[in-house]
Amino acid sequence: MKPSRRIVNLLGEYGIVWATIVLFLLLAVTTPAFRSGTNLSNVLDQNAIVLIVAVFATITLIAGGFDISLSATFILAPLVAIRVAEHVQSGLLMLLVGAAVGCVIGLVNGLIVSKAQINSFIVTLATSLVIFGIAYLVSDGSILRLPDSTMRALATTKVLGITTSTWIAIVCIGIASVLLHRTRFGRYVFAVGGNQEAARLAGVPVDRVIAFAFILGGMAAGLAGSLNAIRTLTAQASDDFSLVFTVIAAIVVGGTSIAGGYGAIWRTVVGVFFIAFLGNGFNLNGIDPVVQRIVQGLVILFALGIEAYGRRRRTT
Amino acid sequence: MAAVVELTGVSKRFGGTQALAGVDLTIERGTVHALVGENGAGKSTLGKVIAGVIQPDSGEYILAGRAVSLSSPRQALEVGVTMMAQELSLVPARSVVENVYLGIEDHSGPFVRRKELDRRFAVLVKDTGISVPAQAVVGTLPISDRQKVEILRAVARDAGVIVMDEPTARLTGDETAALKSLIRRLADAGRTVIFVSHFLAEVLDIADVVTVMRDGEIIRTSPVGDETEESLIEGMTGRSFSANFPPRRELPGDAKVLLSVGGLTREPAFANVDLVVREGEIVVITGLVGSGRSEVLHTVFGDAPADSGSMTLAGRAFAPRNPAEALRSGLALVPESRKEQGLFLNMSVESNITMPHLHKLGSFGFVSPGAALDQAEASVEAVGVRTEKVTTPVTSLSGGNQQKVLFARALVEDPVLLLADEPTRGVDVAAKRAIYDLLVSLAERGMGILMVSSETEEVLGLAHRVIVMHEGRVVAEFDGRTVTEEQIMNAAFTTAGRAT
Repeated sequence: MKPSRRIVNLLGEYGIVWATIVLFLLLAVTTPAFRSGTNLSNVLDQNAIVLIVAVFATITLIAGGFDISLSATFILAPLVAIRVAEHVQSGLLMLLVGAAVGCVIGLVNGLIVSKAQINSFIVTLATSLVIFGIAYLVSDGSILRLPDSTMRALATTKVLGITTSTWIAIVCIGIASVLLHRTRFGRYVFAVGGNQEAARLAGVPVDRVIAFAFILGGMAAGLAGSLNAIRTLTAQASDDFSLVFTVIAAIVVGGTSIAGGYGAIWRTVVGVFFIAFLGNGFNLNGIDPVVQRIVQGLVILFALGIEAYGRRRRTT
Repeated sequence: MAAVVELTGVSKRFGGTQALAGVDLTIERGTVHALVGENGAGKSTLGKVIAGVIQPDSGEYILAGRAVSLSSPRQALEVGVTMMAQELSLVPARSVVENVYLGIEDHSGPFVRRKELDRRFAVLVKDTGISVPAQAVVGTLPISDRQKVEILRAVARDAGVIVMDEPTARLTGDETAALKSLIRRLADAGRTVIFVSHFLAEVLDIADVVTVMRDGEIIRTSPVGDETEESLIEGMTGRSFSANFPPRRELPGDAKVLLSVGGLTREPAFANVDLVVREGEIVVITGLVGSGRSEVLHTVFGDAPADSGSMTLAGRAFAPRNPAEALRSGLALVPESRKEQGLFLNMSVESNITMPHLHKLGSFGFVSPGAALDQAEASVEAVGVRTEKVTTPVTSLSGGNQQKVLFARALVEDPVLLLADEPTRGVDVAAKRAIYDLLVSLAERGMGILMVSSETEEVLGLAHRVIVMHEGRVVAEFDGRTVTEEQIMNAAFTTAGRAT
């Protein structure tokens, strides 16, 4: 391999890592507030929710699925969980209920996508509407509050200097990593996303792999939704639904292919931090939020360009 | 009559295959000129070169007296050449009129002048005598009508030279007859039709002149009056039989029946297929592309369920519902298309080999990386895949070695029956011989092999038994030691059984 070619490969494969390191160092040097322990642990805490959803959504994406209903699940799950908590005051139960709601939604999405062979973007767009509707029914269109504000401790207690939310995210990263990179299911995910026909002919249970990939994404969105409600003590059907955009942006910036078949959990983790550092750096330097959005959009486009270039090289 | 197409020394290579080797050809204006040959003889490639779909590596192309160099079908159209492809290239969701005038619409500014188009279409229909409902949505029309739309499109663009690649392959008898009279009319009106076909009787019926091709070269060009079906087959196949094959082992008389298939039917792909594969036997299904050969393999492999019929494997009823079940029963498949049905192009050699076998390379759902690497290395060694490491991306391997990766994958769990669909397609001569050696040694170990091949040489060199399919039916079965190329060709090209 020629040296120039190797540099291009290193940039393509690990470009996002270099970019994140450079960004980190740049901010550490230019912005004293950035490198304080408090700020960094805050960045972790603020991004725990996105991390939890993004690492599992990465698996869905690599399997060739695109789940736009993550936002709707993220909103419905805590409403159901709070309704349950009104009877049994347990934060842990809320997390479990949230995850269970997400699993059911993921299963429905996964079955429709795999059995009916309909484009997953469209399927989850349609189920999103249904889920949002159910969210209004569950909450009677009003703001639901947790019965006891001390439940908040489940998400905010600091253990070894970082919050329990962050710890939950770290555990999720670990589980998703092992699932994707160490198990048979993980290999099947890459196979189905890379070449579905070849996977079927190789005896891979394609439908089950797709269904499970959607279940994981839904589960994570439900869990994260409940965790978010526990942190804020409220939830409502009209909550911000931009989560899925942030999640997909982080995954793509990390270098996982939206075409399926290629990617990694560590990539998504790095992608989340790149976007987080960018936003944190802008905030600390008092840059107009409007400018922030424009820059973030351009960064995502740039990442997509790199990804498209990489895909051409990988498959030819 | 004057020459309209003159080719001199036209050559084209695809990877390791010389598709055209210095072809010289002259085609007269206003004639129907047929190109015939076996699968892979270069006839489709030649048609595509004439229509600008494929650019030759070298050679001269003179069109109506002027040297041209066509870089795209669009450019070819500008000089009056167009092609009706085997795969139709219409926009299924739009109407007939819109398709016919796609890209050449009458317009005022950005607005299409619909009435003007409708008027022109009516004139076109009157001139050609080809009638298709103007406003019908193309996707709802039968294939024969879509071909008419393709022809109208070619005429509407005022193409003087129309290349047709297997235009009758998907037509019924009536539709074929209609197409024949249409081609005749086009020729009488001074247009030149270049007609690529497998069906020799049709060629003799429609064409004025026929060119016989073999191995990328032109054997002869003659008026159809000088040819018969027999003489064409002789010209297409007359190569000497090369000694590229390992010696054939005699099958013991008491070899047990491994796979038995009776009355297997999956409409419209194939019907009433009976066949038997014994232990240690190499059975080759041959016939034309599209005769239902691959479909039979896929149904045996559980990939597409049969409508009716029965199968037994080693004496027991066998009806796999999916490939996973077939694999568990001891079958393995090397599919026809390496890149579309076989390989995971994003993945390593190791992942590609171990994918169907992960359940035995770890426990509790985990993959043991060590076990997977060991298995892949052992398989690579056994099949002779040339790769530096098994962790390298599979795309970095040559075509022949990629094909061997698929064999390595198929053989990991010692299948009792190996299904191989065109196992040497697109590989070089050395890899071919290696694959032949592998197939023969597997059979020697008692494995049954059911393969599909279009290469007659391969069929004759390997098969214990040869099954010939034609339009979804088994039309002949031969002993592989005594069968001749002519017998296979006569069966494969037979027109006796054609649906009318």
